[in-house]
Amino acid sequence: MAANFWVSTQRRHWLFSREKLADIRERLRERDKLTHSQFPLPDQRLLNIYFNQQLIKLGKRMSTRQQAIATAQVYLKRFYIKNEIRQTNPYLVLTTAFYLACKMEECPQHIRFVVGEARGLWPEFITPDVAKLGECEFALISEMSSQLIVHHPYRTLSELQGELALSSDEVALAWSVINDHYLTDLPLLHPPHVIAIMAIIVAVVFKPAHPGNFGSSAQSALAGAMRDGGGMNMLAALSDKLGSGPPRIQKLVQWLAESEVDIKAVIECTQELLSLYEVWEQYSEKPCKELIGRMVKSKNLDK
Amino acid sequence: MSLTNPPSSGSLSARTRTVGQNLKRSLQATVDEALDSSRRPGAYTSKVRVRDRYHIVGFISSGTYGRVYKAIGKNGQKGEFAIKKFKPDKEGESIQYTGLSQSAIREMSLCTELSHANVVQLEEIILEDKCIFMVFEYTEHDLLQIIHHHTQPQRHAISSPMVRSILFQLLNGLLYLHTNWVLHRDLKPANILVTSSGAIRIGDLGLARLFYKPLNSLFSGDKVVVTIWYRAPELLLGSRHYTPAVDMWAVGCIFAELLSLRPIFKGEEAKMDSKKTVPFQRNQMMKIVEILGLPRKESWPGLVSMPEYTQLQSLVLHRQPAHYHRGPNLEAWYQGCLKNGGYSASSSIGTPGADGFDLLSRMLEYDPTKRITAQEALEHPYFSNGGPISGNCFEGIESKYPHRRVTQDDNDIRTGSLPGTKRSGLPDDSLMRASKRLKE
Repeated sequence: MAANFWVSTQRRHWLFSREKLADIRERLRERDKLTHSQFPLPDQRLLNIYFNQQLIKLGKRMSTRQQAIATAQVYLKRFYIKNEIRQTNPYLVLTTAFYLACKMEECPQHIRFVVGEARGLWPEFITPDVAKLGECEFALISEMSSQLIVHHPYRTLSELQGELALSSDEVALAWSVINDHYLTDLPLLHPPHVIAIMAIIVAVVFKPAHPGNFGSSAQSALAGAMRDGGGMNMLAALSDKLGSGPPRIQKLVQWLAESEVDIKAVIECTQELLSLYEVWEQYSEKPCKELIGRMVKSKNLDK
Repeated sequence: MSLTNPPSSGSLSARTRTVGQNLKRSLQATVDEALDSSRRPGAYTSKVRVRDRYHIVGFISSGTYGRVYKAIGKNGQKGEFAIKKFKPDKEGESIQYTGLSQSAIREMSLCTELSHANVVQLEEIILEDKCIFMVFEYTEHDLLQIIHHHTQPQRHAISSPMVRSILFQLLNGLLYLHTNWVLHRDLKPANILVTSSGAIRIGDLGLARLFYKPLNSLFSGDKVVVTIWYRAPELLLGSRHYTPAVDMWAVGCIFAELLSLRPIFKGEEAKMDSKKTVPFQRNQMMKIVEILGLPRKESWPGLVSMPEYTQLQSLVLHRQPAHYHRGPNLEAWYQGCLKNGGYSASSSIGTPGADGFDLLSRMLEYDPTKRITAQEALEHPYFSNGGPISGNCFEGIESKYPHRRVTQDDNDIRTGSLPGTKRSGLPDDSLMRASKRLKE
């Protein structure tokens, strides 16, 4: 259903268990062992950070809304569980995902404009021929079985904003946590409302020491808060459905207990996010760029 | 060279035969191209081939998007199908990948999610040879064809139980779309499909859009939608805020047309000027005013803030005011329509009666915020009074409706230009603007 997540293709075809996802990737690797050993790539999450930064650069000059970037990231994930990344030109795939996501999220850009911008950013990897992007669009849509409507946690966040009396700082922080979850496998593992609730909990419970100072540095502030604070105890309490701590948090815990949200899943998401922030501290653009560049060039994937 | 060019010599009969054969070949060739797809790494090739699964038997219709064919399944695929083929733009001599239109993307993504007895059923989508093939269930009729049939050889009204069944099913499908935040935006008789067993299916979601709040603003993108005769007054007056009420207006127009066998507001479309600004549809607005009277700010408070409100006022000044101040006469129109059609309680076709009028007047309510919703309409006395409603709109009908016209005159589909019905809307005008920006 277009607006009903429960009967959507996203729920029916694009949510996996952790084991299933690992299995799918292992099969991709098995099929192409040689290439895997020839072209080692960084941790998937580091690659995701790199791709996300490229998407943001691409979107910058086109006044693209965040939701289109988010949709593009989901398309990349879906495409790369069906296709081995080492058989593709990731720059072309991410440009195409962006182009398609813009159309789906009602902020369309002309194909020539997108190709022009992409060439400006990665001249070695994007040819001026728009047909290449058009062809890649076919591959993308086909691999996703035309299931292009993506349900995002942003909507749940806006819906719960009033009900949970969230401050604008909390909403902004939860929003940036949602942005960050696209760097993990979470969009393939959990429904969007679970992600939204995780983001709200993180924003309310692990509020970093310097509110207003998040944004690009949200990750380290949050990671610190999540490691050092007693937040994990709160999460443990959550799973027992026992409220403790300040009234503000008790209220949230009570709401959660009544809402029948899968608390276990929420906690799992929180841990996934924390582990992302830890990996993020090792991130550096250079190795990602070099490894991908070497792979594309030596396999002639940009031709 | 075109396959369908007749040979330059030979007898007439030989030529005709060759042309016939070539036409057949050309039809099948619409899906038989693509063998030459190069084997370079990364080249896209479809895993499923249209010609392996379907046998094309003829051509149904065309539009700006491409063409629709009738097909029958083969290799285990059973039944009849309508295959909508979207064509990419032509660049120079050969067809190139040029990026899919937003309208195709919308239709593909929405149809993939939707599933309801009164919405056309998508079987599958095949992306092959730079074209998109959307395979739908085949429907033998549509409302345009049924209305037309009732004007031939002379006018004879559609029976009131049939009108009631059609309208109920149409509203049922529309309620499903609206509760799932989908606006159809181009409802008209030609888009309301009817199966041979009398089930109504809402078709052609090429202009449909999601209206999620608050992330998706409907202000961006296309400006004009809905075929002009079915276009709601708020759109004519320049509103950029689409709501489900836009679709309900169109349903009202279709209801009226089922009863009178003519479009109720048959205006002439003012064409866009060279600057691509959207003109005020004066003539269409006049047609509405002639039957409903002028909209008044007392009963439609939002009227004064409509972008084209001043145009509406000038329309009053320039015409003979007396004619338009007689007050609304939809009721007179309705009574005249019942009389002409021979609708009455004692006649064999029955009558939609006073309940029918009340429902129609609520659908053709000027103020979109007061216009009846699909849900409310389904609960209206027109449906709750007067016995059960059949899910087969042909129930009790003795006459047979003609089958959909399927032709073989498909001259060189692969490279020919696409004549036919141009959409009144501009599904992708924002793209046009983007390309213009690029050139500047």
